[in-house]
Amino acid sequence: MIVLEFVAILLLASIFAGVFGSIVGLGGGVVVIPVLTLLLGVNIHFAIGASIVAIIGTSSGAASVYVKDRITNLRVGMFLELATTSGAIVGAALAAYVDSSALELIFGSILLVTLVPTVMRIGEDMPKNPELKGLSKRLGLSGSYPEAEGREVSYNATRPKTGLFGMVIAGLLSGLLGIGSGAFKVISMDVAMKLPMKVSTTTSNFMIGVTAAASAGIYYARGDVDPVVVAPVALGILIGAVIGARFLVRARNPTIRKIFAVVLAVVAVEMILASQGVAV
Amino acid sequence: MDSGRMDSVIGDVLRYGVILSFAVILAGTGILAIRSGASGISGALTYNAGSIPHGNFTVSWAGLVNGLLGLQPYSVIELGVLILLATPVSRVLASVFLFAAQGDRLYVYITAVVLALLLFSILVTPFIPLFNA
Repeated sequence: MIVLEFVAILLLASIFAGVFGSIVGLGGGVVVIPVLTLLLGVNIHFAIGASIVAIIGTSSGAASVYVKDRITNLRVGMFLELATTSGAIVGAALAAYVDSSALELIFGSILLVTLVPTVMRIGEDMPKNPELKGLSKRLGLSGSYPEAEGREVSYNATRPKTGLFGMVIAGLLSGLLGIGSGAFKVISMDVAMKLPMKVSTTTSNFMIGVTAAASAGIYYARGDVDPVVVAPVALGILIGAVIGARFLVRARNPTIRKIFAVVLAVVAVEMILASQGVAV
Repeated sequence: MDSGRMDSVIGDVLRYGVILSFAVILAGTGILAIRSGASGISGALTYNAGSIPHGNFTVSWAGLVNGLLGLQPYSVIELGVLILLATPVSRVLASVFLFAAQGDRLYVYITAVVLALLLFSILVTPFIPLFNA
């Protein structure tokens, strides 16, 4: 394939991945990996290497907007990163001993099941605000953010231990499969901790960069970061992430949830396809 | 320091990291385009991704510095990717100090543990055989 064509396809796909990734709290690997492997014929190892760079790009690019706009909950993010980083390290150590296709089948199916609570709450603006107590109170897991029309919305997190457990699983999957596992992070915060949708997706966005950075060293050392593949991915994803972040700041929670439900279905199907040997 | 100020500092760390890495990767890509154009192969140069062996792009600090001194496009792109990789790490490092400035000891510990795990994972695990099996 001619380089110019290769770079152009990859750049456009990465912009698209950055826009959607930044809105729903994913890293964009779900778009970047199949474009690289199925469309451009790139080896899956280089595709995962590029995907890790994409995740870090989406995370940092979008978070630079969200954190300034006070939508990301820094405390929730940092507390949960304890679980995602340790999970990612354990996952990376176990990767050689675990059958990845079985894992993909199990977790793809779990994601399909979590579509049910996500779809049932379509249209919901704010979750019922739980009382701040126990561990959540000690950790200060509450906050407020400015809604699109300027009104300040406050919220409290609940069930931090369940959230932490979900994040251990998300971290393990990141280390095992080389993915950002943003979908699991959003679900942990949305379903378990009952955070507003925007706070869940932007805090997931904030966290995936750290999870991906934890596995980046290994992929770099293995020689799986190909500059010709990674350069257009990084440039495209950064452009896309900033565009997506500007959209989210003005969008409403129900809109974000609808987009998340669609992306969740795509991620689940891709994982199940991957378990059947399709290189996505 | 209040939490709004903290948001603003962390936002800045992320923003400057992203802008710098974008500029460096763009420069590397530009050099690559000019060099391949100068040798008259730009349009026809084929990139057969499937034929490149797995693990072909090992980097060493010495190789990176040499490549940068010679303005090698791959090395410039690699530097940009490393800056991008360093951005979330710097963000965690900055949070340790920002929580300390707020006098929030619990979160100083939490972020310091995250930083230690992160540095262990990036700098140490590539040299442990268990992680490269």
